[in-house]
Amino acid sequence: MLSQERIKLMTKMAAYEENEGKKYMSIGSYFRSDYMGMQVLGSIISASIGFLLVCGFYIYYNFETLMQDIYKKDLLLLGKQVLFYYVIFVAAYALITYIVYSFRYSRAKRSLKRYYRHLKQLAAIYDIEKNKRQE
Amino acid sequence: MSSLLELREKLRNFYSRNEAYLLPFVKFLLALLTLNVLNMNLGYMTKINSPILVLIVALMCSFLPMNTLVIVSAVFVVGHCYAVSMECAIVIVGVFLLMFLLYYRFSPKDTLIVVLLPLCFGMKIPLLMPIVVGLLCGPASVISVSCGVVVYYVIKYISANASVITSLDVDGSVAKFRYVIDGLINDKAMVIVIFSFCVTTIIVYIIRRLSIDHAWTIAMFVGAVTNVIVLLVGNLMYETGFSVLSLVLGTIVALAVAKVFQFFVFNVDYTRTEYVQFEDDEYYYYVKAVPKNTMTKSRHTVKKITSVL
Repeated sequence: MLSQERIKLMTKMAAYEENEGKKYMSIGSYFRSDYMGMQVLGSIISASIGFLLVCGFYIYYNFETLMQDIYKKDLLLLGKQVLFYYVIFVAAYALITYIVYSFRYSRAKRSLKRYYRHLKQLAAIYDIEKNKRQE
Repeated sequence: MSSLLELREKLRNFYSRNEAYLLPFVKFLLALLTLNVLNMNLGYMTKINSPILVLIVALMCSFLPMNTLVIVSAVFVVGHCYAVSMECAIVIVGVFLLMFLLYYRFSPKDTLIVVLLPLCFGMKIPLLMPIVVGLLCGPASVISVSCGVVVYYVIKYISANASVITSLDVDGSVAKFRYVIDGLINDKAMVIVIFSFCVTTIIVYIIRRLSIDHAWTIAMFVGAVTNVIVLLVGNLMYETGFSVLSLVLGTIVALAVAKVFQFFVFNVDYTRTEYVQFEDDEYYYYVKAVPKNTMTKSRHTVKKITSVL
């Protein structure tokens, strides 16, 4: 016999699995440290490429001036300055990534917790139905 | 009003019944419109200017995820810029890469704003986007709005200065590169529009979240007025050459479109608002419940008249 409560629960869960659940399940399959590490690493790579791009643009834009002044400049000091800006930029970007993704991870976990609670409810309903049939 | 609600319900039902066909069709139309607008405004590379290619690409986009359109549009822009000059293409690739690497990693769904905003500029109703984004998205979406404005002004700049950039051949590639970068960095109109749209988006977002009656409508109007004021003040300060008449007309039309949008997305009846108070072990709850305006499907009753002769 059809159970209205069970069908409602199953529909709700199927809709979840189809939409937001898909995203959250892939997040939930990682440990927090693995997920955060992966995202922060990706951000460091992205930020490094972005920084290189901006540096490349700056060099190309000021190519003539830089070529004229290259022998007058302390290259070691320049290198240190560039490294300093690079570290600041990448660290700030990695920090933002950490905050955003730790928020997303906890949201996904909360959402999955609700989903697993529904799963338990569904299992309980099945048990009740099974017992009724056996009686 | 009831007939409008009925129409809305019919449209909703029609959409839910035919979603599988309608969504690809909408994607196809959007891709076709976007690529044609790009070809009309830039159109320097003849190879990608052909309507058959546009049609094929649009058809391809209709069955692929929405972000494909963004990538395809970016490829079209870069292609046209490459036809103007390689330096121009390098700058554009750099701008797009920075956007995708630094922001769209976080919210890939927002990429659609970058496509829609230049289209709204083309239709002279750019204000529509910050209002809609403020109503539907979070405050972080101001970055997407800003990226959309940058893309529009980049396209506009290249379209207006293509002949000058091409004629700089004798001065070498660095001169071209500097010309493009200078033109983009020193575009005060772009900076003012970015600032104005960011302020509008945030104001609309803050007001629509308030627990006041008609929050969405108030948010739209306050956002629109703020946008006009900021643009006019910016115009006075930096003489950017905004036309006041087109600004006001564009704002009115954008507001009208936003109201239609509101009718479909957030249609509530404030006259039937209910205030409820209750408590549990941990909290007191002060709840304001605003019912949605809905229309049940009108039922046709068939009256049978049988006559006995």
